[in-house]
Amino acid sequence: MNNDARPTKQVAWARWVVATIFATGLLGGTQALAQMPARFYWKPLAGSNAVPLIVNSFSGNTNPFDPADTVTPGAQFDATMAQAGYAHVFSLFDRSAMAAVILPMGRVSGDVTVAGRTVNESASGFGDPMLEFTFNILGPKAQQNIPDAMRYQPGFSVDVLADLAVPIGEYDSSQPLNLGQNRWYGRVGMPVVWQLGDWVPGRRTTLEFLPAVWLFGDNTNYDNGKTLKTDPKFQLDAHLSRDFTERLWGSLDLAWYYGGQATINGVTGEKLNNLGVGFTLGYQVNNNLGLTFGYKSTINDNGPGDLKMDVFQISLVYGWHPLIEGMNRLKSE
Amino acid sequence: METAMQPAARERAVRKTLLGSLGLVVLAATLAAPPPASAADSARRPNIVVIVADDMGFADMGAFGGEIRTPNLDSLAKDGVRFTNFYTHASCSPTRSMLLSGVDTHLNGLGNMSEWIAPNQRGAVGYEGYLNDRVATLPQLLKDAGYHTYMVGKWHLGKQPDQIPRARGFERDFALLDGGGSYWDMTNISAVAPKSVFTEDGRYLTKLPKDYYATKTYTDKLIGYIDANRGDGKPFFAYVAHQAPHDPYHLPKDWRNRHVGEYDKGWDAVRQERLKRQVEMGIMPAGTELAERMWFVPDPIVLAPASRAILGKKMELYAGLVENMDHHIGRLVDHLKKIGEYENTIFIFFGDNGAEGTDLFGMIAGSPGSRDNLYAAINWNQTNFNAWGDPGSWVGYGPMWAQVSMTPFGQFKGWLAEGGIRNALIVSGPDVKRPAGSINHGFMHVADVMPTLLEMAGAVYPATRNGEPVPPLMGKSWGPMLAGKADSVRTDQDYLAWEVFGNRAVRQGDWKLRWQFKPYGKGDWELFNVAKDPAERNDLAAQNPDKVKAMLALWESYVKANNVILPSRGPFDTLEKDMPQRVTVYPGFPPLIYQRQFVPPKELLADPRP
Repeated sequence: MNNDARPTKQVAWARWVVATIFATGLLGGTQALAQMPARFYWKPLAGSNAVPLIVNSFSGNTNPFDPADTVTPGAQFDATMAQAGYAHVFSLFDRSAMAAVILPMGRVSGDVTVAGRTVNESASGFGDPMLEFTFNILGPKAQQNIPDAMRYQPGFSVDVLADLAVPIGEYDSSQPLNLGQNRWYGRVGMPVVWQLGDWVPGRRTTLEFLPAVWLFGDNTNYDNGKTLKTDPKFQLDAHLSRDFTERLWGSLDLAWYYGGQATINGVTGEKLNNLGVGFTLGYQVNNNLGLTFGYKSTINDNGPGDLKMDVFQISLVYGWHPLIEGMNRLKSE
Repeated sequence: METAMQPAARERAVRKTLLGSLGLVVLAATLAAPPPASAADSARRPNIVVIVADDMGFADMGAFGGEIRTPNLDSLAKDGVRFTNFYTHASCSPTRSMLLSGVDTHLNGLGNMSEWIAPNQRGAVGYEGYLNDRVATLPQLLKDAGYHTYMVGKWHLGKQPDQIPRARGFERDFALLDGGGSYWDMTNISAVAPKSVFTEDGRYLTKLPKDYYATKTYTDKLIGYIDANRGDGKPFFAYVAHQAPHDPYHLPKDWRNRHVGEYDKGWDAVRQERLKRQVEMGIMPAGTELAERMWFVPDPIVLAPASRAILGKKMELYAGLVENMDHHIGRLVDHLKKIGEYENTIFIFFGDNGAEGTDLFGMIAGSPGSRDNLYAAINWNQTNFNAWGDPGSWVGYGPMWAQVSMTPFGQFKGWLAEGGIRNALIVSGPDVKRPAGSINHGFMHVADVMPTLLEMAGAVYPATRNGEPVPPLMGKSWGPMLAGKADSVRTDQDYLAWEVFGNRAVRQGDWKLRWQFKPYGKGDWELFNVAKDPAERNDLAAQNPDKVKAMLALWESYVKANNVILPSRGPFDTLEKDMPQRVTVYPGFPPLIYQRQFVPPKELLADPRP
């Protein structure tokens, strides 16, 4: 009968904390279908960092580098888009906050019909980098230390979110298909994470929503000097996310797009009113690295003016926290 | 199963024959006899509720200095009397055997726990590992005296049909026969007996009731038993043997987060706070020292905040488990008040031994590749912090918090230091004439319960059972104490002795002689004045050889009278080699860990010269 239950042997907490920090992947957003994956707004320990790399293979009737999802009837685009970025989580007024930047890059090609003229176009290079800031207003306070991180459970948490894209991506006004959008645009939203049941790795379930409005400036040099205006676009993302094991999870994803009516030199297109559905599988490879694989597709897309697209997505997120890295180095001694 | 069915079938046949004739006899007796005097007497006799908490510590209740919120137990203490010098045994079934038989463990069958019967004890009378049939039981004698007898909770005194609660005198029972297991289902601790065994009214259960949760279900069942026989004029004896707060700490979700972060400050701080309150309340005398922190437990100051949070969470769960038990005890008390029985009910509450400081789960399942480790991987694998309390989780709080539970004493369950055998006792009810809310320091023992209750119930302890002499009661009735006529039922010459797992102790008056395996003991006899030194910090054997000699004589007398056979093997055989070398723990030593960053005077700060 050994009574030697020495507390110093209790190092398992480190594993739990690490899992808590990086289970979600700090940044995994993509403009293709303009939907962040589930678990994006779970909160890690303040001071955490992440570098995401997201690769999308896209097909549809809109340019995936354009979050306005402007539909080009009859067009067929194919794109390979990668996004790389950096995110940092910190405490602001005792609430969790995140600042991130993400840079899209890749290539897109397809048949584009403008004013009755159909051409095959392609573009490649860098798109518009996007800055994102989120701030939690309801839910657990910022995780200032490891005990806070261990005790984190989202419960019902609400953030405010602001995105701003900087129009410095590659742009050629002589063609309608571009990676940069040549205008300012951004988004405001309120990410919601609603914990359903226990918060135990292996059986966590969440319902997550992100109602948001995209706002667009004018592109006054669109397709050889035309003016492109886009009305605000409302977007609701929803995810039902569930752990399968401590490392493997999945989500059912839904997105609703409404509005975003585009006007080119006074000629007005159609409003969006479309639904996209999909799924995501996520796997936490180790304490630092998370992978996801997902597929999404629009469903009510039979009309010529309907948004039509589908995308395969693979994301890889590498996260770290200086404290945890130090512990890992000690462990490997 | 066959052995279980045969007596049952016989019983049914006999019952059928008897029932017919019994009806005639009862009818004739009713017509012929005057109104039964015994019914009137019964109405005046008190109901008895004995509540035993499993592994609960001396200092956990609010009424004994704990910060754990136990309003219902505190209320019993406020209405009754708290006793601070009450002894149990160092482990579960030995204590329970003495409670229910009034006889020393080495005579009643629990000379060793069934799990640890040594090779040289096998087959010896008194070492059966279950409550043997030589002893008369408290429920049987009370039943014979006209009491209804009910039992709910943990039994741990035998599983065979002739050893279960129904066979030992309880009319109604809902019992866990094992020593522990899940609070939510029938999952038991180890692969050797993977399914917990339960009985209800003498039948072995194939499944548990819907919405089973141990503490709640036990309480519900008992209330049902009480209600079922209400109004027949007979008093009842209820033995409520809660599984709580034995590990694993299984508790409903809404009881898990009532102390979040409160224990991050660490065990030393909580022990100091508890002792301060104990002294203020009069539980312990002024000047009482805390037992030294166990030598293998670090000062929490050296731990990372996360370690303190994780270890603190274990104590949070324990506190929640105790509070949940208190809640259900409150439900029982409220029910008795509602039906008008509270005022006529004696309550006795105590913990069955010291708090649990052993890593029971690690001991059973801690070796990868073992049978029990595989069983744990399948059944006890909910290790995540947030899963603690759920089915499949196993949390025990370890030696550091066990010492907190046993403030101010040293050591814990399984050992014969005060922290292993001294526990908090509350007695309240109509026969308690001492001032309500008072505290008494008389020298008491769990085996006293039986003579006390027999006296209250007007029952008699028999000289023989089944034609054989019954071992003598070892305890003394608390009658004079409860009546306020004496401060203790023991004189300075009376003594008590203990032996389990080869550890041994004798207490007489203020003195205690103790032999324990290294490194918890010295592997030799130690002498303590537990009145002045309840924490057993100062071994006085060398200065008092005559006292040692005199108490050794008492020990020898005890061995002879009770057929004590020291085990040839036991759980502590290799402990000295397995554990860190014991050293004395001094507060503030080593200074190294208490130093702070030196901050020079501001006026002497300077940048390096070029």
